[in-house]
Parts: sequence; C-alpha cells; structure tokens
Amino acid sequence: MANQHAKTDLQVAPFIPSQGLKTFAFSAIGIGLIGLCIGLLQNPERVWPAYLTAFFFVSCLSLGGLFFTAINHLTNAGWSASIRRMSEGMTSFVPMILVGSLILLFGAKNLYPWMNADVVADNEVLAGKSAYLNIPFMVIRILVFACGMWIFRNIMVGNSLKQDKTGDDGLTAKSVKPSIAFILFFAITFSLFSVDLLMSLMPMWYSTIFGIYAFSGLFQSSLAFLILLLIYVKRNNLVSGYITIEHIHDCAKFLKGFTVFWAYIAFSQFMLIWYANIPEETEFYLMRSHFGWMSISIGLLIFKFIVPFLALLPRWAKRTENHLVAVCMLILAMQYVDIYWIVYPNFNDNHLVFGFYEVALLLGFLGLFVLSMMKFFQKNSLVAIKDPRMQEALSHHVTY
Amino acid sequence: MANASGPSKFKMGVAAIYDSEEKVLHAAKSFYAQGFRKFDAISPYPIHGMEEACGIKRSMIPWVTFGAGAVGLTCGLLLTWWTSAVNWPINVGGKPYFSLPAFIPIVFELTILFAAHSSVAALFVLCGLPKKQPPVIDLDLTCHKFAIFVPEEDFGFEFQKVEALMKSTGAESIKKTEF
Repeated sequence: MANQHAKTDLQVAPFIPSQGLKTFAFSAIGIGLIGLCIGLLQNPERVWPAYLTAFFFVSCLSLGGLFFTAINHLTNAGWSASIRRMSEGMTSFVPMILVGSLILLFGAKNLYPWMNADVVADNEVLAGKSAYLNIPFMVIRILVFACGMWIFRNIMVGNSLKQDKTGDDGLTAKSVKPSIAFILFFAITFSLFSVDLLMSLMPMWYSTIFGIYAFSGLFQSSLAFLILLLIYVKRNNLVSGYITIEHIHDCAKFLKGFTVFWAYIAFSQFMLIWYANIPEETEFYLMRSHFGWMSISIGLLIFKFIVPFLALLPRWAKRTENHLVAVCMLILAMQYVDIYWIVYPNFNDNHLVFGFYEVALLLGFLGLFVLSMMKFFQKNSLVAIKDPRMQEALSHHVTY
Repeated sequence: MANASGPSKFKMGVAAIYDSEEKVLHAAKSFYAQGFRKFDAISPYPIHGMEEACGIKRSMIPWVTFGAGAVGLTCGLLLTWWTSAVNWPINVGGKPYFSLPAFIPIVFELTILFAAHSSVAALFVLCGLPKKQPPVIDLDLTCHKFAIFVPEEDFGFEFQKVEALMKSTGAESIKKTEF
C-alpha cells in the first residue's frame, strides 16, 4: 500500500555526543561521587537515603525501557518498530542495577531497621517476619532480580542489535518468547525488589499493592523519559523520517493512560488503608500527613495526576513538542518526589530534608544513565533499521 | 429503497465507483482541490488520510465526552453528599459524614457512566443513526469497491464538470443516484 506518510526521506545519522552532553555526564558523575564520599565520611545517615532514592529513580527509568521493549515484542507491535531502539537504549543502564544494588547493601544497615538484631529481638512481629526479612535471603533476591534483568536485556536488545547487522527477520519472532518470560519474571521479582528496597524501610507496615504502585510510577516516568528522548533525537536531526509526531503522539497517549493508572493504584492503596483504619497500616499515611509531608502528599495528587492528566487530555497537547517536554519534565520530577516521599519520612518524620546530598546523588545516577545511553548509541544505530515491521512503523498514522 | 411517500430525506447527486483505495483517496483530494465541500467518500473500511483529503474537521464528540464527564463528576459529588451527609446522615466508623475518599469510587463511576453514554449518544446524533434503509449506491461498496458521492447541492455543481473529474480520477463507473 502506497502511503503518503512514508514518502519523507529516511536518514539515520551516527550519534556523536555533543561536548555539552559529555561534560554534563562526566561532571554529574563527579558530583555524585564527591557527594557519596563526603556523605560516607561525614553523614552516612543522610547519604544512604539519598542514594536509595536516586538509585531507585534511575533504575525505574531504565527498567521501564526494558518493559516497553518487551510489551512491543509480545504484542507484535508494528507502529513502534522505528522508535523501539530508543527504549532499548534506555536499558543500557540495566547492568548498573546489579552494581548499584550491591553497593546499596553496604549501607543497608543504615536504612533497614530489620537488619539490626537488637530491634528484631525486641519486636515479636519483626521476629516473625525474619524468615523473609533476613540479609542472606535479601542478597539472593537482589542478585536474582538484577542478574535476571541483565540476562533478559541482553537477549531482547541483543536480538535487535544482531538484526541490524544480519537483517534476519527470524530474530523478531525469537524475541517474543523471552518477552513473555520477562513479563512474568519482572512482575514477580520487581514487586519483591520494590518491597525489599522501599517497603521494608518500615518493616512493621505492609501494603499488598505496593509492587504495583512502584511499577505504575516506573512505567509512567519511563514513558515520560522516552518521549523526551524521542523529541531530543528528532530536534537534533539525528534521525529523519523514522521518528514522527505520530509516534510521539502514541507515546503520549500511553503516558496519559499510565498517569491515570498511577492515580488509580495510588488511590486504591490509600482508600483501603483509610477505610479499614487499622493502626499498623495507617501509620504509613499518618507519617505523611503531618508537618511538611502533607503538602508533598497533596502535591503528588495534584502534580503527578491532575495537572498531567488535564495537560495531556486534548489532541493538540499530545502533538505539541514544547508542551510535551514541559509535561514530561513535571512527571519525571514528581516521580523523584514520589520515591522521596516513600523513603524520607521513615528517617525524618517531623521535617523535610533536601540538600546537597540529594542533589549530588541524583545528578550522579542521572549522569551514569546518560553516559550508559551515550555509549550505547555511539556503538549502535539510532533506529532498528532492518526490523521487518519498519514499513508499518513508517506508515503509522494516528487518525482523528 | 427511497421512501415511497413524501419527499426523500436523501440528497440527489452523482456517484463514482473506484476499484482501489489509492484512487479514491486521490479522487477525494481532487474534488476538494476543485472547491467541492459537501461530497462524501464511501469505503468498506477506514482509509488513513481520508479525513484530511475530504477536509473533514474534527468531531465535537470529545467535547461532549468531557462535558458529560464533568456533569457526571458533579452529580456524583452531589449524590454522595446529599444522601450521606444531608438527607440521612450515617456515622460510619466515626468518619465525617462527608468523607471524600469513600465517595471517590462513586464519583469516578458516575463520571465514566455519563461520559461513555453521552459519547455514544452524541455519535448517534452526529452521524444521523440509525439510518433506516439507506440508499444503496453499489452493493460492492461493503466489500471491495470505493465511491465518491457528490450531491447536487454542492458548491459549483455541474454534471459535466463532475463527470469529467470523476473520469479523470479513474472512476470505474459513474451513476446518478441518491445518498
């Protein structure tokens, strides 16, 4: 079928990172390292929560890229063939999740009360949970999760990169089964990962929906990042014809959908706890409804759901790049605030803390994320040019 | 076909039958370029780019959906507030009579209910559905043929001119009909 939308010139330029981007990545990593070192020497109680928040935030962005790649494989999506390499690039941070979580284990005693034998001995409930909440089992869980993600990433992204060279159509079909296995593995292990890293900061408290809550923020924020990446590549004329406003429009629809999904899950968690009013459950929200924390709780509702939802509602909003950049930046900022809001009240329940350590660690991990993507795109094409569904992606057109 | 008694509610005009999607899309663009605005394209399935080719503006259904959703939201709030806090206040677990979190599910569902039903209703109104016994231009139009229908009331309608344009865009057959 001849289509008027596929007539534009198709070009993929090799990616050469600009000096500014390089400077940003390296100086951000430098600031992060300095922050971490000063913190370890002077104030480990402050630096580990900052490390955990920034690490979880960036890991989620990267895992979201892997999840996006997988769902496009397993639904046989054609429209996204020309932009899938962008989400594959986001996964280049995945190996760092293993390194980052192993480093986190060194500081875990500063974060998790259940790692302190005296606390557990005094607390019958925690003693009862020790079959799950113990250090060796947590290390095993983290290793299984991080190595599993790394392996799945190598299979799925590896197939795609191999196709760039060989042009073998069969590789596309070969990615479907690993994607199905990945989704199942991811659903279970990411739930445990979020429970281990975030929920067990407050080991007496539990929420059975916590894994989905973490996932909803993960996918919402990584879609926002994906849109920013698409706009960046398009604006810098690195790719012409392959990435169009139609693809960005559909990603923005995804973003709007998962903004609602986050609100739905967040409210489900809140309402059941609020309604049942059981002290061991309400503690979580009580801590977050006093002092400065209440304003952050309300801020999450307004700026992570209401504002982005209304801002993404009209059709023009999803097709206007500047508008999308603003909304995506807001969502990314709010995702950081969301993790901050989960982590920090456990350590400072009567005041807000935000300062050098938080900024430095966040910059450090963002720098690593940018650097890993830079290396990936320097080595590989910006578009999976030999994907057999490319024609479908090029003809992609969002109707009224 | 047409109503036996009374004036027909359908428009008289000329229809051209095409055998491919590309031709009918091209024809729609040509008719639009020639200044026709009231013509219609008929196809067994949606064709990408046809809305733009025919110069069809965006539907107002999204606005109906949004408005009805807002009304549903307000109704949900009023309903829960009036029944639980005004008309028959019940103390549930010591919570305030008007407890917003408990009412959100009802408010949410009413928003969806109003928005969804109004969208369907607006679709029926805007498309003039249900169309009972519409005129049949060509039976193949539901299967593998495409058509452009130009009503006589369209701007600058002249039979020879329309026929020539239809022929030049590759029409398979041309017939006077109503639609």
